[in-house]
Amino acid sequence: MRIDLESLSKNFGATRVLRDFSLQIEDGEFLVLLGPSGCGKTTCLRTIAGLEQPDSGRVLLGGRDVTHAEPRDRDMAMVFQSYALYPHLDVFENIAFPLRVRKAGAKDVERRVRQAAERLGLGALLQRRPRELSGGQRQRVALARAIVRQPNAFLFDEPLSNLDAKLRVEMRAELKRLQHDLGVTSVYVTHDQAEAMTLGRRLAVMKDGVLEQIGAPEEVYSHPANLFVAGFLGNPAMNFFPGRVDSDARAFVAGTVRVPLDAAQLDRLPVGAAVTLGVRPENIDLGRTSNDGWIGGRVYVSEAMGNETLVIATVGEYQVCCRTTPEARFDFEAPVWLRLRPDRLHFFDSATTRALWP
Amino acid sequence: MKRQSSLEKFAGPALLAGVAALTLFPVYWLVTMSIKQEVDQFAVPPLWISFRPTLEHYYDIFWVRPFATYFFNSVVVAGVSTVVALAIGTLAAYSLARSPRPGLAFWVLSTRMFPPIVSVIPLLLMLRWAGLLNSRTALIILYTGFNLPFVIWMMRGFFAEIPPDLEEAAMMDGETRLGALWKVLLPVVKPGLAATAAFCLVIAWNEFLFALIMSQTDAGTTLPVGIAGRVTQYEIKWGAMSAAGVVAMLPVFLFASAMQKHLVRGLSLGAVKG
Repeated sequence: MRIDLESLSKNFGATRVLRDFSLQIEDGEFLVLLGPSGCGKTTCLRTIAGLEQPDSGRVLLGGRDVTHAEPRDRDMAMVFQSYALYPHLDVFENIAFPLRVRKAGAKDVERRVRQAAERLGLGALLQRRPRELSGGQRQRVALARAIVRQPNAFLFDEPLSNLDAKLRVEMRAELKRLQHDLGVTSVYVTHDQAEAMTLGRRLAVMKDGVLEQIGAPEEVYSHPANLFVAGFLGNPAMNFFPGRVDSDARAFVAGTVRVPLDAAQLDRLPVGAAVTLGVRPENIDLGRTSNDGWIGGRVYVSEAMGNETLVIATVGEYQVCCRTTPEARFDFEAPVWLRLRPDRLHFFDSATTRALWP
Repeated sequence: MKRQSSLEKFAGPALLAGVAALTLFPVYWLVTMSIKQEVDQFAVPPLWISFRPTLEHYYDIFWVRPFATYFFNSVVVAGVSTVVALAIGTLAAYSLARSPRPGLAFWVLSTRMFPPIVSVIPLLLMLRWAGLLNSRTALIILYTGFNLPFVIWMMRGFFAEIPPDLEEAAMMDGETRLGALWKVLLPVVKPGLAATAAFCLVIAWNEFLFALIMSQTDAGTTLPVGIAGRVTQYEIKWGAMSAAGVVAMLPVFLFASAMQKHLVRGLSLGAVKG
């Protein structure tokens, strides 16, 4: 079901957790809320759930105002970071709980619980108590409890963050497929960029209770709206060079870093004003010999990751991270030359932090 | 090394046996006293086991004196006041555990900060005005009031151990807050409830001061007052007192045995993460 958040504000004491926060979530959509801890993403989710009341603003569910409705009247299913399984009930009864509350018939409960358990591979564990399960199994029970009924929406509050890395990747894929198969509107809160990039059809980046940018993950990644989004998304993070545009030289200058600009860029970028250049590590070419227009530096450290090699080079007063082929090996302090790919440059207004280019 | 380990081997059990003997001796004395004839009661040296047992004291308290009434009064007063204190106190404790103002709970204890005896006269006057003197109702109200702060404090600690996620999950699953409390939180804090109930029951069961002052007739007299009543100006009925003591001990003993599993878990709840 469609969810609309209309200029929500929420304060905890003097802390402003949500500020005039608006968001539309389409029916059947998988939306990911991404942000650093304390950015208000969990509060936002809990406001949708009805576990938190906004100080002002409205929450609409399928066009109906539910701002002050109890959680039970919104009929949404939530998966908690702590799983929140009922310790006194076995797996079967944990999954059956939402059905029992709705007074479903015994046969119906049996069928639907088995179906949900089967879907998540819990068939053999139905008689166990939560404390007898591993973290991954608990996570599956929490998911089964959510999908055992047809809720208006799924709300996920960092559901994978307590799992170990390998399991997290597995569950991530499974969750994506599950949501696709069920087609239920989903809101997913995380601070993990891999989850944010892979899971959502749309990605909303938050900071300090404000929506910084929303769009398809690829779009947010390739066209970050401001310095915060550019720096937050991507691992390793985007390299930044605060400098200014020199119109005589037809170049961007930041200390020893000079990047030639084309006519269109020169046309768009403010001459003389403080501008920050951003380049992602994968958009930097690395060479051992000098070429025309390449920037010279020295290897600070080189990290072979197996599937890629990360080279951190010292260029003037900057440390620049470059992503290169897995076979590449560089010694400490080896001279290197860098080329920032001209078609992959990002420029930001240093004062307002807004994106100027592309 | 060998000496130390043998010391460990015997010292522990010996210590436990000593403490057990110390604790159980009065119980033994009470029980034997209740079935000894009056001539044997103070024999020197004491007749440890070789005496002719009699049930005359039990006959005395139940058929000659109204101890059945006292017993019934005690059961009603302790039972009802415990149930009521638990019902009110659990709800209050849950609210306080989830309250964003933790200082509030401290004031709940303020009613226990003065010695109870200073409140005897005002309470007596209030109960007389309400026409409740010499009634079980009076004691039920008083004991509920006295136990409430303890219930709230104990239960608040148990609730605080439970992450709010749990009731929020139940609410997301369609329960009301009260429904979540009833179906999810109470089963989880059951050991805590048992420990708290035992605590209330024992306090109400053994309370003497208020029971003595608020009841002058048999209608409201509880066991502790009834037993003390056997100490008179002319004689002390040791046999009857002991028999009544045994009778008074039994319900608490049975309750504690039945609850033992829960009690241990309740008193150590939260000490180890489950």
